[in-house]
Amino acid sequence: MNGTLAWSLVAMGLAVVVVRRRSVAVGLVTAQALLLAGVATAEAATVDDGTAAVALGLRGVALAALFLLIVSRTRETRPVRATVTPLVRAGLAIVLALAFIWLIPPIGLDSEQAERAMLALVAFGAAIVATRRATLHQLLGIVIVENGLVLGAIQLQGGGSLAIEVGVALDLTLIALVAVVFHERIFAEFGSGDTTALESLRD
Amino acid sequence: MTSREALALAAVTLPALTALTVAVVPRRIVQPVAIAGLTLAGTIAIGLSLVALTDPTALEVTDWVVIDAAAGLMLGVIGIVALASALTSPAYLESTSAGLFGARHAQRGYYVGLAAFVAVLSAVPLAGNLGAAWLLVEATTAASAILVGFSGKPRALEAGWKYLLLTSLGLGFSLLGIVLLASVTPGATLDLLSWRALASTVPPGETALVAFLLVTVGLAAKIGWAPVHNWLPDAHAEAPPPVSALLSAALLPAVLLVAWRTERSLEPAIGQSTGRSVLIGFGLVSLAVAIPFLWRPLAWKRLLAYSSLEHMGVIAIGVGFATPLALAGVAVHIAGHAVAKALGFYAATPLLGHEPRAAGHFVTGIARTQPPLGATMGISLATLAGLPPSPLFLSEILIIAGGFQAGRGWAAAGTAALLALGFVGLVHALIETTGGRPHRRDRTSAPGLRPVVALAGAATVLLAALAAAAFWLPDTDIVEALARGVG
Repeated sequence: MNGTLAWSLVAMGLAVVVVRRRSVAVGLVTAQALLLAGVATAEAATVDDGTAAVALGLRGVALAALFLLIVSRTRETRPVRATVTPLVRAGLAIVLALAFIWLIPPIGLDSEQAERAMLALVAFGAAIVATRRATLHQLLGIVIVENGLVLGAIQLQGGGSLAIEVGVALDLTLIALVAVVFHERIFAEFGSGDTTALESLRD
Repeated sequence: MTSREALALAAVTLPALTALTVAVVPRRIVQPVAIAGLTLAGTIAIGLSLVALTDPTALEVTDWVVIDAAAGLMLGVIGIVALASALTSPAYLESTSAGLFGARHAQRGYYVGLAAFVAVLSAVPLAGNLGAAWLLVEATTAASAILVGFSGKPRALEAGWKYLLLTSLGLGFSLLGIVLLASVTPGATLDLLSWRALASTVPPGETALVAFLLVTVGLAAKIGWAPVHNWLPDAHAEAPPPVSALLSAALLPAVLLVAWRTERSLEPAIGQSTGRSVLIGFGLVSLAVAIPFLWRPLAWKRLLAYSSLEHMGVIAIGVGFATPLALAGVAVHIAGHAVAKALGFYAATPLLGHEPRAAGHFVTGIARTQPPLGATMGISLATLAGLPPSPLFLSEILIIAGGFQAGRGWAAAGTAALLALGFVGLVHALIETTGGRPHRRDRTSAPGLRPVVALAGAATVLLAALAAAAFWLPDTDIVEALARGVG
């Protein structure tokens, strides 16, 4: 994988950390998932096995359809403001990514750029889940973590990655589907996807 | 195919087939079909457990499936709880209104989710491979999150969302650990993530240690070990009682088994002492975090949820000590906790029918107004507190003794002190819940009480048997097989 592609995926992830409009965030994450499917297809040509590419392609399409459904069916009457400003969010995400890259020993993926991009995406996803209040953005955070892990699996040397890629594609699409069901119900119940409404359970 | 393999296949496929069948049969027979399918599946799981535990030395291990004593123990627990949850579900469904699936599809949605959850859950202890185990654990999240939010109430949606988000994020970190392990394993085919292969192929070093920590921390989020337990009290309190029973009594220890197998397999690479110390550390922190909550007057299901945090801590400590005494304690603790905790959650259905404010408040004096219900709650809480001669009292003694046997005197002493504090909190809750001043004087029979009282009778017999088993278990082949693992 070349550096430009790896860092494009990272840039998309960082953009999701800061953007306000959910349609833009959804577009970026979907593009990221489809780009990963493209990378898997290119890799498949060299190993002569397209199973992972097909699975990841289907995952990308499924995510696109799910997000389209969410955006069209649940319209926020007013924007859900994050508690942390975009600049602070970006700073936090970058610090977390650098910490991961520093703490986690070399993984030995096919490309060093892909290795760093994978860790950065995992960090960005975690930062989004921790700092955004909208359920949709939190779901996107989880998908970005998954995208990072898919990137790692694609770039693993040897054949172990195939089952990881296919498994991850199927399993995590299922999780995204369940999350969409919850997002819709939360929206129907509270009239918004703002998680500040979900703070009644405390001891 | 051996008889064990056939039973294992049936234990997983039967609930899966039940889920598919329930999804398409006419509405009037949804409940009978679901209960029949889950009863049969539970019975088969119990049968496999008996076969595996009767001859624990006969080990069946492939790269994908493992049928050993630990899997047998867990399948027995899953079978019993699945069976009892199926039998108590009609009473719960009668007491609830339209939920996540709407009035028309509520029953079908509930049973499809329950059967799918049991199917995936049954496969977790049988997974012979870290990669497969991860996929199955993640799949349990998808199946059970829907059930947590089943009532569709705001609090249930909040609990379901937290559960889904936090456990998915945690398991993401586990997967990062798996990718790390796959990267250092020569040849890196998925077969090399099997428990046996991990033990022989992962090279010692920093990468193996970081991978182990990532996998364990991620699984901790699903097991509910502190400090990554935030979803646990909410999900257990807001899920339907039969589902809470499955989550607490079966799912948590099943995922803990995956963490245990991972630690055992990576011991050659990370060092025996390091791996075990991590488990003991999680256990002690979980105990310490749970105790202040056990002292507070919490709503019934939340109290049981915090008690799960305490007991998962105790099991982690026992697994970390890993001596024959401690492992005997772990076996008795897993089974005893499952029986007592499931009974406590089943009692929640008649309790909420009798005293609706019990959903959010501490209730007192239940034995004065509803003696059979009070007795059922009393049996559950007394056992969970570790009141002698309950099997959990004996298992805790065994685990602490095992700690001293392992030369970890400080950890064993700390465990004893924390358990004593937890005991005081739960005994206070026991006295107040059963014998305190009642809020209501209504003595009419609580709805859904009859099956729960019948289960309380069966649970008492099982708990007595487990208490007796605690005396002879340390010298048996079962403990030897647990100590040996899949090696």
